[in-house]
Amino acid sequence: MGGGLRRPRFSLRGPLPQTPTRKGRGKADLPSHLWLLLPAVTANLLVFLWPMLNLATLSFRDSASGGALLPGFSLATWAGLLTDPYYAELVVDSIGVSLLITALTLLCAYPIAWFVHRAPDRWRNLLMVACIAPLLVSAVVRTYGWLVILGDHGLVPGLLRALGFAHPPPLVFNQTGVVIGLTEVLMPYMILSLLAGFGRLNPTLEEAAASLGARPIAVFRRIILPLSLPGVLLGCLLAFVLAASSFITPSLLGGGRVPLLATEIYDEAIVTLNWPVAAALSVVVLAVFGVALVLYGRLSHAVA
Amino acid sequence: MPASRRLLLSAPLAMPFIRTAHAAPRTVTFAAYAGIFQENYEPVVVDAFRRAYPDINVFYYPITNSAQTLGMLRAQRALPQIDVAMMDVTVAKTATDEGLLEPIPRDSLPVLAELTPKAFIDGVAGPAVLYDNLVLLYGPNQVKTEPTSWKVLWDGAFTREIAITAAPDIIGLAFTLVANRVFGGGDYRQSLDAGITAISEMAPRVLTWDPKPDAYTFIIEGSAALGVGWNARGQTYALQSNGRLAAAIPDEGSLFQVNTINLVKGSQQSDEALKFLAYTLSAEAQKAFTERMFYGPVNTHAEIDPKALARTASTPARLAKMMDVDWLVVAKMREAVTEQWRRRILRLR
Repeated sequence: MGGGLRRPRFSLRGPLPQTPTRKGRGKADLPSHLWLLLPAVTANLLVFLWPMLNLATLSFRDSASGGALLPGFSLATWAGLLTDPYYAELVVDSIGVSLLITALTLLCAYPIAWFVHRAPDRWRNLLMVACIAPLLVSAVVRTYGWLVILGDHGLVPGLLRALGFAHPPPLVFNQTGVVIGLTEVLMPYMILSLLAGFGRLNPTLEEAAASLGARPIAVFRRIILPLSLPGVLLGCLLAFVLAASSFITPSLLGGGRVPLLATEIYDEAIVTLNWPVAAALSVVVLAVFGVALVLYGRLSHAVA
Repeated sequence: MPASRRLLLSAPLAMPFIRTAHAAPRTVTFAAYAGIFQENYEPVVVDAFRRAYPDINVFYYPITNSAQTLGMLRAQRALPQIDVAMMDVTVAKTATDEGLLEPIPRDSLPVLAELTPKAFIDGVAGPAVLYDNLVLLYGPNQVKTEPTSWKVLWDGAFTREIAITAAPDIIGLAFTLVANRVFGGGDYRQSLDAGITAISEMAPRVLTWDPKPDAYTFIIEGSAALGVGWNARGQTYALQSNGRLAAAIPDEGSLFQVNTINLVKGSQQSDEALKFLAYTLSAEAQKAFTERMFYGPVNTHAEIDPKALARTASTPARLAKMMDVDWLVVAKMREAVTEQWRRRILRLR
């Protein structure tokens, strides 16, 4: 060979040289990886896992009728929880209301997120700030705001009366108020998740579909929606988990008529002093979240 | 160097470290209710103790409710930080059963001999310190005539203008007992069905079964016209509300709620804590606080101003109408009563 070409260091006819294996090359790196993980693992053990284990342990104790904790291991609390239809209804109602809130949040947040995503660059940041600005206000204050708007003498019933409805339906201190209030509270989280998901969208795909004769609704159904599904799934997971664990809004807007897992845990812990039942319900909430995470993982994998 | 010269030279170096020996004041941590209770109890009772005993500091630790105090005592069992705890009698019984409170024998403090015999409850470590009673709250702007019967809550004229805290809260339990009596239910120990049935009939007319922050605020701001609450807060808020809230004890009578005062087991300053505890039970403190916030006193030697006494349920006429309630029995019934509320009252929308 001439012309200044150098002979390759390997032959193309033979086997390719093996890259050094992790065993051969990274043996010295493994201990440093462990050390780097140690602070995070320690923090998680101390502030998350240990309290959760304590909580789970508390659920295996029994309490006397006046609330006194009885010593020793007992399955009575779990037996009562699993055999009392009230708690089964509570879990089903909590999941059902949370799913309803998640669906409504998605319906309300998707158009807003899409509008922000498609806004000109100079307006997008401002619109994003406007969308997440409610998060700067305490949930208690926002919920009281809904009491003013939806209360019997509030803005919305007043408008309905002006429109001729002599007896507008009650919008607070019932499930309606809780659903409306929580939907608004969770919308910023859904909008942020959707905006993250819209990053996958490529306008040229939409243009190509349109140029091939697809109508806007078809472009949305065949291009935009499938590509935005990861963001939709993330937003739904976030909204569901937050709705299922929400205490403030159901407590303020529910009027004592909307028993959910979080409010029931509060009543058992603070009012009836039945800490074992409160602990057991907390474990149930964790289990619900675990199932939601597994479903999210499977669906995310399917849409990827 | 001679020893005397060494001593003379070293003395100035040691001076900053030589302190005049004196006894540091001990601090008693007193856990009691926050909010309007603290605003009135601390200046009237705690500050008076601080003036009488300048060598004892009292730190008022405000708590939301008795259950929170119990939670703290459980968490601090190994090293209690609270020395004296004020708690509702049902929670105090739980704390006593769990060994968190130090029993106070009747002959351990002279002041205990001045208390009404009903202040000593079997199975509860500390004595009663204050009585409160259930009252009918109303807004004079909406309810023009002072109600004289609990049955005004069943009056259809106030649909969605009623705010009551439901069971398992103690107000809900107390309301169940009162409703049971008003509607001919007989002995509450046997059955509360009459009360539950009556409340279920008024349920659709109730605005909220969980007024936040409380029924007093709902009535003061005009969201509700009627409610159920405790006399001491009701009377105090009534005086502050410029006529937007009033409290009435209907003709059918009411019942007492009992607050107890307790010495925490393992307190590091139990002698000082007992002095403070004794002061809270003294005639002087009981008179001062009853006249300030209209709780019923437990000290029979306390000479209460008649105008203040008229705002409590401790007048002879009202005492005759009060139900005799054993709250320790009611605490055992709480779960069953709450279940009835859930099935028959709270589901009615």
